[in-house]
Amino acid sequence: MAGSAIRKIVIVGGGSAGWMAAAALAAVVGRRVEEIVLVESSQIGTIGVGEATLPTLRAFNGTLGLDEIEFIRNTQATFKLGIEFVGWNPERTFFHGFSDFGPDMRGVSPHQAWLRMRAAEDARSYSDYSIATVAASLGRFAPPVPNRESVLGSYSYAFQFDATCYAAYLRAFAEKRGVKRIDGRIVDVRLRPHDGFIEAVLLEGDRSVSGDLFIDCSGFAGLLIERALQGGFEDWSKWLPCDRAFAVPCARTGEPTPFTRSTAREAGWQWRIPLQHRTGNGYVFCSHYLGEDEAAATLLANLDGEALGAPRLLKFTAGRRRECWKRNCVALGLASGFLEPLESTSIHLVESGIGRLVELFPDRGFEPKLAEEYNRLMARSYESIRDFIILHYYASRRDGELWRYCQNMPIPEGLRHQIELFKASGTVALYDSGAFVEPSWISIYFGLGVFPRRHDPMGDLIAETALKRELARRALIVSGAAQSLPKHDAFIDKYCRANRQLDQPLSSLH
Amino acid sequence: MIVGGGTAGWMAAAALARVLERSCEITLVESEAIGTVGVGEATIPSLPAFHALLGLDEREFLRATRGTFKLGIQFRDWRVVGESFLHPFGPYGLNVNHELFQAYWLKRRQEGHASPLEEWSVTGLAASQGRFGAIPSQNPSSPLRQLSYAYHLDATLYAPFLRTYAEGRGVRRIEGEVVDVRVGPAGIVDSVGLRDGRSIAADFFIDCSGFRSLLIGEGLKTGYVDWSQWLPCDRAVAVQCESGSADLAPFTQSTARECGWQWRIPLQHRVGNGYVYSSAHLSDDAATAGLLERLEGAPLSNPRLLRFKAGRRASVWVGNCLALGLAAGFLEPLESTSIHLVQTGLARLFALFPDRDYDPAIGAEYNRLTALEYERVRDFLILHYAESQRRETAFWRHCGTMALPETLAYRRDLFARTGRIVQMEHETFLPASWLAIYAGLGVWPGRYEPMIDILGGGDVQARFEGMRESMRKSVEALPVHARFLNEFVPRTVQ
Repeated sequence: MAGSAIRKIVIVGGGSAGWMAAAALAAVVGRRVEEIVLVESSQIGTIGVGEATLPTLRAFNGTLGLDEIEFIRNTQATFKLGIEFVGWNPERTFFHGFSDFGPDMRGVSPHQAWLRMRAAEDARSYSDYSIATVAASLGRFAPPVPNRESVLGSYSYAFQFDATCYAAYLRAFAEKRGVKRIDGRIVDVRLRPHDGFIEAVLLEGDRSVSGDLFIDCSGFAGLLIERALQGGFEDWSKWLPCDRAFAVPCARTGEPTPFTRSTAREAGWQWRIPLQHRTGNGYVFCSHYLGEDEAAATLLANLDGEALGAPRLLKFTAGRRRECWKRNCVALGLASGFLEPLESTSIHLVESGIGRLVELFPDRGFEPKLAEEYNRLMARSYESIRDFIILHYYASRRDGELWRYCQNMPIPEGLRHQIELFKASGTVALYDSGAFVEPSWISIYFGLGVFPRRHDPMGDLIAETALKRELARRALIVSGAAQSLPKHDAFIDKYCRANRQLDQPLSSLH
Repeated sequence: MIVGGGTAGWMAAAALARVLERSCEITLVESEAIGTVGVGEATIPSLPAFHALLGLDEREFLRATRGTFKLGIQFRDWRVVGESFLHPFGPYGLNVNHELFQAYWLKRRQEGHASPLEEWSVTGLAASQGRFGAIPSQNPSSPLRQLSYAYHLDATLYAPFLRTYAEGRGVRRIEGEVVDVRVGPAGIVDSVGLRDGRSIAADFFIDCSGFRSLLIGEGLKTGYVDWSQWLPCDRAVAVQCESGSADLAPFTQSTARECGWQWRIPLQHRVGNGYVYSSAHLSDDAATAGLLERLEGAPLSNPRLLRFKAGRRASVWVGNCLALGLAAGFLEPLESTSIHLVQTGLARLFALFPDRDYDPAIGAEYNRLTALEYERVRDFLILHYAESQRRETAFWRHCGTMALPETLAYRRDLFARTGRIVQMEHETFLPASWLAIYAGLGVWPGRYEPMIDILGGGDVQARFEGMRESMRKSVEALPVHARFLNEFVPRTVQ
């Protein structure tokens, strides 16, 4: 085994995916390989817009041994308790928080108990039982306590950060651990004639970088996995028709919210991601229903503060790479597929790609079964997140051309079954215990006004008065606990304010 | 309304009575004229949880069913004649995740240290030394916390034991033979008709009628998915005998035979035996003779013949009817899964409890989950046959050359070539169990998980050696099985 160990890893592309891979591989397999090289061109910009994440990022950072406070200070990060959805259901704004709705009651899910009491005149909103939702609505945040039994230990959190800063921060981490950075633009890829494996990438100026394992983090271009190896692309735009986004940062105008906001618009939706020093914004839209100029104008007209630059256009197609791992090349990030950032899953997919690569780490024999297993697992992750995102569009009650299309489109079979089962019974069927579990699905179903035709009959075994008392007690505890937390901005001030001064001239920020 | 009063029927009655607490009327119809299959049964470690749900006392249960403890299964002659290995319950190592243990063990093996896998399991060590005790260990730091166990029980006593429990909680038992199933226009069962002319209506029917599958099969004409191409055994001959051993083994034995395999299930008072075989390769008479000649003690009953076909009902929930137990499908008792599958079937029923709308989406989800669960168990069983190196009969040659189901071929090849054990959802057997069978049958990957090298060498080895030592010490302090059982349930074993 040692005789055929991977000696050299070449990472192509230095955006967040590239530097995440470099940092993680340096930390985890650094001692076993002789060399890790990252090739990036300082002439090619990265996609680094304000980026929201899922709580799994904390585990990733933990594996690297990053200090959380230092990480926050270096990336202008704020805390995230979930996503607020505005306009997706014209009747109400709703929240997808990183917490559940409380513990089971006699084996019955709390949302089922709530459904039974829903019609009662003194019924509260189901969101009153979600600590992350209530704390977010109050603009409060502190990390959960270690005790899972306590309501203050029953939620989770993620970060909203500046992805360019994150890449730079990880670059320093990786370079300190021996990762070598080569500045250069890739002009070609040389394949081994006998088996089509990548032998080297060729750079401008007649340079070449050879290696055993290549990681393609070149973004949408997929320089290695697609252009050189034809990994193939499965197009999902019939279900997720949005294919453009304009992104622009704006000046911060108030305290940053401990949540991301997604506002549905005529032909897509707009994100708002508050960082410490400014706010990231973007309009994801479908070019079939809206012109680019109009989209840019809509975005600029809907900012909280002064725009810090001109909107940048991104073009994409929803879908995934058929073979994320092919021969001696593994694609991560946008090179491996694209799902719109509606549920902040891009960084999460990079994390899980890296985690699986480490678990299935090859040697120079590149056993094809490893790639097959990697691709099977990644396909499942992509598909389960895809279905979750499709649900937002399909079940939305919004009017408009794009929205009518989505409400009437045929959806993937698995999702159809999930929705029918939920409507029939309030049960959430899970195909992959990946990114989103029961409380997440319930947040979206209930938020969009999809309620089951019944509640769990097992819930009827609890006496009605006892159930009412218990629900009232729980709501009281949640609200008291949320009130006890500090304001989000005050917490940042106390523990992790970024070093950069807030009164700096805006022009120096970009 | 539950149709059929075997193990499945009374398990369903007991669990429903416990959970529904008289909020709805539960009836069970059974006929004394129809015998139950109830041969000696072995179980897996989910059964103690079922009893905890019911609030049953473990001593009372063991006394009533003449039960013993079971720590796993010993497989004899499966790879080749003369070799045996253990499939113990529970994890390997102590408080260590399976991937890490497996990587360590495979690496050691590659370096030439071949020690039997069961020496790395508390349960395996206890089983191979015939010891058991201290359930559950109260000491949080004791290796015995990882001792995982199930029971051997007399199924002809288990159903009556549960019947007493269920009747005490309001289940009404009707003596009668179901001869007719009346299905309404929407495919909903209205009532069942009994031989004496009575008719019984209900909102929901649970078909526990065994192989006959009176409601779901005969009444609702639900098809059967046949798996006999992979699991060709279709008969079993069973007989009880006197124990030929002074020790009470805390494990089931499965001995591969010419055209199938033979079980040995030790109870307090006797031993249950059976020969599972393929009728295409062996006659009933030859199988019976083969069984009788290999008994360890005098037979206590006449040999009974059972016929079956491996597979499952295409749908186990149709309209207002749910099948449990043999009516839902049959997987040979090689890994003692029958009672477990009834139990998970009941758990799913509580999670997806019906109402009188009979929304098909609920049944569809139930069927989806059941199909997955059965297929995973099926694949695990097929692996035992497919990897055997025996070739002396047409039966074993068939097993050694048959094409595997795609799901099994995928996971088997992945393990053989990379050392990865895929954990699929709704899996009954955890990676530790898959490893036991792979290793026992001699499927070795050329690779171990690189994680173990990444985590560094010396500390890991010291940690594992320390682990083994502490497991060994704590197991040696345990009493032998029979002595423990006698203390736990006085005067059970003579």
